[in-house]
Amino acid sequence: MRDIAFGQYYPAESFVHKLDPRTKILFLIVYIVAVFLGDNFYALGGCAGVFFLIMLFSRIPLQRLLRSLKAVLFLLLFMSVLNLFFFEGGKPLYDLPKPWRFLIITDKALYHATFLAARLLLLVLGSSLLTLTTTPVSLADGIESLLKPLKLIRFPVHELALIISIALRFIPILTEETGRIMNAQKARGADFESGNFFKRIKSLLPILIPLLISAFRRADELGDAMDARCYSGSKVRTKYKKLTYGWRDLLAAFVGVGLLIGVIFLKIYTGALV
Amino acid sequence: MAAVKFEKVHFSYKTDDEQAENVFAEDAAFSLNGIDFSVEEGEFVAVLGHNGSGKSTLARLTNGLLSPTEGEITVFGLDAKNPKNLFEIRKQVGIVFQNPDNQTVASIVEDDVAFGPENVGIPRQEIGERIDFALRAVGMTDFRSATPSRLSGGQKQRIALAGVLALKPKMMILDEATAMLDPRGRKEVIDAVLRLNREEKITVLLITHFPEEAMLADRAIVMSNGSIVMEGKPADVFAKEDELKKYALTMPRHICVCRGLREGGVEIADTMETQKIAETLLPALQGDFSTDLQENLGRVNSENTIKPETSTGAGCVHCENLSFVYNSNSPFETHALDGVNLTINAGDFFGIIGHTGSGKSTFVQHLNALLKVPTAEKKYKEKKLKKGQIVPPKTVLSVNGFDLTDKTTDFKTLRRKVGMVFQYPEYQLFAETVFEDVAFGLKNFYSDITDAEKQKAVREALETVGLNYENVKDRSPFELSGGQKRRVAIAGVIVTKPEILVLDEPAAGLDPLGKEEIMDLLHKIHRDWCKTVIIVSHDMDEIAENCNRAAVFSMGKILLTGTPKELFGRVDALMDLGLDVPFTAKIVDFLGQNGVHIDCDYTWWDFVEKVLKYYKTKGAGMRLTPSSEGGQNHA
Repeated sequence: MRDIAFGQYYPAESFVHKLDPRTKILFLIVYIVAVFLGDNFYALGGCAGVFFLIMLFSRIPLQRLLRSLKAVLFLLLFMSVLNLFFFEGGKPLYDLPKPWRFLIITDKALYHATFLAARLLLLVLGSSLLTLTTTPVSLADGIESLLKPLKLIRFPVHELALIISIALRFIPILTEETGRIMNAQKARGADFESGNFFKRIKSLLPILIPLLISAFRRADELGDAMDARCYSGSKVRTKYKKLTYGWRDLLAAFVGVGLLIGVIFLKIYTGALV
Repeated sequence: MAAVKFEKVHFSYKTDDEQAENVFAEDAAFSLNGIDFSVEEGEFVAVLGHNGSGKSTLARLTNGLLSPTEGEITVFGLDAKNPKNLFEIRKQVGIVFQNPDNQTVASIVEDDVAFGPENVGIPRQEIGERIDFALRAVGMTDFRSATPSRLSGGQKQRIALAGVLALKPKMMILDEATAMLDPRGRKEVIDAVLRLNREEKITVLLITHFPEEAMLADRAIVMSNGSIVMEGKPADVFAKEDELKKYALTMPRHICVCRGLREGGVEIADTMETQKIAETLLPALQGDFSTDLQENLGRVNSENTIKPETSTGAGCVHCENLSFVYNSNSPFETHALDGVNLTINAGDFFGIIGHTGSGKSTFVQHLNALLKVPTAEKKYKEKKLKKGQIVPPKTVLSVNGFDLTDKTTDFKTLRRKVGMVFQYPEYQLFAETVFEDVAFGLKNFYSDITDAEKQKAVREALETVGLNYENVKDRSPFELSGGQKRRVAIAGVIVTKPEILVLDEPAAGLDPLGKEEIMDLLHKIHRDWCKTVIIVSHDMDEIAENCNRAAVFSMGKILLTGTPKELFGRVDALMDLGLDVPFTAKIVDFLGQNGVHIDCDYTWWDFVEKVLKYYKTKGAGMRLTPSSEGGQNHA
């Protein structure tokens, strides 16, 4: 409990780690668009190429990246299997007697299922690369900065950013506290593991109530501490850390734009290939 | 110019918001009744007083977190009642609060320190300089890009201090800012504050329960029930025993020692400085060396009279080669326990000492199987041993007759027999009524308990912890005062009549009287409720005065075990670990180096008794007319 590695951040000194978070967020958006626009394996191959390039420059071990797939593995398999058997049309690859007809796989279904799986794989891996190379804090900074234009329509960008930042700050504290309260109630014979669903929910009350009370107390104290440090909203506020783009970001922008153009090009000229 | 001036200030929460009273009944106690008070610029003022005496209210009024219901408050010439001045006042007066976790807004140290300057619109260039300045002032420059949640309590609190300093205030208020820290962390914070006061001429208002901290101030004020009842030089304030008692404060141990010695005929002035007592005592004790020093010392061999019944029966803990690793096989791997051997006998009042992170909490959590003994040997047996690999020695952990290395052990019964009170146990209360909360454990352990049995058990438990059953049983636990909540929480553990009771820092955060009461309560529980009591504590005097045996943890190992007398006799070894020892041990050590050997158990009263005995038989006292008075015993 004491050393929760929060988020997915994988500390390293790399080109990608040093990129401005805004660049990385925007790049991810471009990459996702490209992956969705690409409707053939050439386009996906391009995306995969770009992905591997970034992975190399991020110094994240492939093993670590693959671990982030665990969570979506089931979804991935499920979707592929569904597509394999239920895709209509195409030539059957083999024949089966009557009651087993639904197990017949066609060439188009195979193509489609593989394609979808590859697409999903690229999406998940790409997003993981962002969270692995960017701390939650700078991610929040990036989002705040990118949302700035929304200030024009009076969207409370600064407040939102502060809320995210405080939430991030308190996650390890509340996690630890949950552990402590759980232990205390376990020591008093509480049992969180057995019983049916409702019983188990009910058995969580002795944890949730103290946790909630503690969260309110902490919020109250934090409010006082912020007041005492002259917090008064965003009116006169300056910002110590300003995000600045550098040459790396320019390079990343070229790659991103290149990828997008390439995929669109492929879409127009090779769409008929399939 | 006065930094702060209070004129006939009244404050009460009730008039502010009738509702608030229902939620926090405690607050009613925090009102002020006509306070006149001022702090000069550059002064260092300590504020003492029992919990609920209004100290924090005073602090909050000073920087406009609260507004007085009546009276005038002027802060650096500004009227604190005028909302327009609040911003300016808060720039001038910074507050550091009690809980280091609840004052930090950012996940990186420098971002957090920047928060204040950002709020008042300091240009970016200058914020950088201010961060440098603030972190340097608290000695945390190396932690600029660290994560607060990974820092120690003392470090976190110094970051909070830096966060306030970055606003360049003229005054700092510390609202029990050291209450939740271990001795090392406390020293770090106080040293930083002292330096700011001396070197940067920052006015300091220090709210504290620790006499040794208050002694550093130019002036001390004592509050009780919303009024200032005593004021003066800290040493003078602490010397007034009767008045202190009246206001629910206790006399510091140093003063008790000086008093006791003086009554026995030693010429010594009240002082809070250990070294001064030692130096005054030395000439008084270095008397006639004609009698052989080593001979007549009357070595009473330790009061460890309680003989172990067996080392595995009820009330006993026996542990061999216990190791524990957090996050094994990850970059965050930490060896919390590394081959611990320890025996706690039935009937012990056992103390566990060690720094935060020394493994003591991990050890304690093994005692009722909140952490399970890793079955390391099994793993080694299954896998083939690599070349040169040694099979780790067999782990033994037997608690109250239960074998905890055996997976088939009835852990539920174990938990009933081994009660565990965590730090700040009042934060684990949850039920609607005190009765329900105390009965929680009963219901879990005995599913078929009758209402009458339940009532009887809860009544007994509540009465044992000193609460009136009829008065509190139907009240919400959240309505009670801090000390009462803690008692309810303890009742909730002892209600199942455990044979071993483990408490982690049972007195933390309480005021001095509250601490004494809790320790008295534990002795009562030890006497007629639980066979064995084990406490984890940072307070060495607490260990010396209450425990018959203790163990010192360091880096996951046990360094020393023995009676407090045996442990604290090894001043150098403990100090090398960065642990403190009772101040009496320091004096004894100093005297010992100069040829005067005092043999005492390091409680202040035994120390006084033995010193006086020495004084009269061998020291300067022998040459004077023998006094009829013997050593005083502690009441």
